[in-house]
Amino acid sequence: MVDLDFTRAELDFRAEVRGWLAEHVPDRLPSMDTPEGFEAHRAWEALLASARLSAVSWPEEYGGRGASLVEWLIFEEEYWAAGAPGRVSQNGIFLLAPTLMAFGTEEQRRAWLPGMARADQVWAQAWSEPEAGSDLAALTSRAERADGGWRLYGQKTWSSRAAYASHGFGLFRTSGARHKGLTYVMFPLEDVTVRPVAQLDGLPGFAELFFDGVYVPDAMVIGEPGDGWRIAMSATSSERGLTLRSPGRFLATADRLVALAREADPALADRAARCWSDAEAYRLHTFHTARRITAGEEIGPASSMGKVFWSELDLRMHGLAMELLGERAGATPWLDGFLFALAGPIYAGTNEIQRTIIAERVLGLPR
Amino acid sequence: MDFAFTPDQLALAETVRDVLTEHCPPSALRTGRLPAWDRLAAVGFFGLLVPPEADGLGLGLVDALPALEETGRACLPGPVVETAVVAPYLLPGVPKLASGAVRVSVAPPGGAGAPDADLADLIVVASEDSSRNGNRGEARVVGREAARLRPVPGPDPCRRLSEVSYTESTPLDRPLAPALRAAAVATAAQLIGVARRLLDVSVAYARTRRQFGAPIGSFQAVKHRLADVAVGIAFAAPLVHRAALAVDAEAAVRDADRDVSAARAAVPDVGRDVSAAKAAASEAADLAARAALQTHGAIGYTEELDLRFWLARAWSLSAAYGGAAEHRARIREALAGGDLRRYP
Repeated sequence: MVDLDFTRAELDFRAEVRGWLAEHVPDRLPSMDTPEGFEAHRAWEALLASARLSAVSWPEEYGGRGASLVEWLIFEEEYWAAGAPGRVSQNGIFLLAPTLMAFGTEEQRRAWLPGMARADQVWAQAWSEPEAGSDLAALTSRAERADGGWRLYGQKTWSSRAAYASHGFGLFRTSGARHKGLTYVMFPLEDVTVRPVAQLDGLPGFAELFFDGVYVPDAMVIGEPGDGWRIAMSATSSERGLTLRSPGRFLATADRLVALAREADPALADRAARCWSDAEAYRLHTFHTARRITAGEEIGPASSMGKVFWSELDLRMHGLAMELLGERAGATPWLDGFLFALAGPIYAGTNEIQRTIIAERVLGLPR
Repeated sequence: MDFAFTPDQLALAETVRDVLTEHCPPSALRTGRLPAWDRLAAVGFFGLLVPPEADGLGLGLVDALPALEETGRACLPGPVVETAVVAPYLLPGVPKLASGAVRVSVAPPGGAGAPDADLADLIVVASEDSSRNGNRGEARVVGREAARLRPVPGPDPCRRLSEVSYTESTPLDRPLAPALRAAAVATAAQLIGVARRLLDVSVAYARTRRQFGAPIGSFQAVKHRLADVAVGIAFAAPLVHRAALAVDAEAAVRDADRDVSAARAAVPDVGRDVSAAKAAASEAADLAARAALQTHGAIGYTEELDLRFWLARAWSLSAAYGGAAEHRARIREALAGGDLRRYP
């Protein structure tokens, strides 16, 4: 028998999360891409962590509460339905942390995860370079052997959160081999030259990074030198799929969109209704995916289908809100949401790259 | 929370798939009106939803869903949904229904006609004054000998439509709306099967057809179109699965004679979930048909290629029991009431 019911423990967890959020969610914070907004978002993360809600799926010893995948999905539904702030620690908790869990050493996990859960450190990702975007393996930033560690040289770009973050992580070349010459490195940003880059909203949501012999000890390398591509691809498939974008935020957006469109022309309201059921589809698809992951299955390239779907759904929803509101959108959160949604089909592997992955690795079309 | 088909449900689909692979190959679509019907009857397919007291298995719609998808994948002709799904809701006591010896067609309210009514023993005719969502709809059942059929042209040569007039009929005492909802979900499952087949044959063709010295499937324009079909199917199928569970959950509450509020609490709005499924499946199949034809090019535009059967089935079923636009409007109306609760 198919069991669609949530367990008693899951229902209790939902109630606890809903109750805590109702008491603690702040009024809209300033953008996390301003100095004061960044600090306000860090303080919010610390408050979340004090209730062990900043990274619920992590083991307790790292600051989580060992929640199941389904409980994490419940948390996300409640989090976004409550209108809670965006996650300034997102790169760390949803991208770097799963990588450390899967490929890091116990020492690395103990050294970095508890601080990440409290946002003592905020992590920036450093993948792209000026000449290596979609073709990431063409990157040329390098790590050179030094006494007990490595020295980093080169340039990274579009590094999200780097304007104010304390640390970063990314791939560096340790030999000439295209894929097998790449190594996964964490680094402190204090010795890196950071040039903030303003995004469409005028605020520095990402930055260029210049490395001029920045030293990192061996303990900052994740996995073996030369194994970085494999490790990063494993992380980006979680970025594309489950961990970066749980359904919760799209469900919350869809509910708000339906409310916004209630008095609108039926043609526009039909489009809102369609978005609402598409968000439902993403939720149900994710429940199924969660079940497969829990059963030990690898999701692999099929995660690209989720990335295409949620990013384009998010853009459709915010685009429709812009149509409904017109220029009045500027006085609402919908404009910022629209600008953020526009980035969805670009980051974490453009949707063109995703469609090629789907065609070649899911459908089996020739390269 | 365990949102997946059970091993039993998948095994049933496997059985149906094997039967149809052997007895309903594409060549059979050109020679007969009811290929594999008796073979499916022999494995018990038409008794899946029939109550045990009428010799059926009394299963839920969700139990038959993967098997129904297989009937779409095979482009199985005949009044399959009407006999295997609608009839157990409306005519559960009819003798020999479970054995497949009695075939049933349905003239749905607002539909173009009754599919394969000329092959049916009983025809359910929904009254003209049925309300839009069918909740107050009435239906009558007409014996084949009392029915006069007038053929109506349709898009699908293997799903012939008829207008039905009759001299005598019997009113049905069971509610029409739940049966029509089950029909929409079952048809949506068939559409998912049609879409998967269209994608499979398109991928196979794109891998072998060469132009400019390369398989056309190596070209990004072709790849991305087919990737979109895969995404469309992947995110329509869970809505169909959920709608079947919602239909069954509502039926369980109704059968237990609990009140309407209990049904509302269990499934906030089953009609909304059914419409989401049918709209998404119709659109996924339409997209798959469009992409399949474009991938095949001129050869796909011929009567000679079997592809045309699946194209026609996508067009006929995407409209059957309400097309995407009609169901989208129903979702909008349901949401306008302000109840945004989700099932599960």
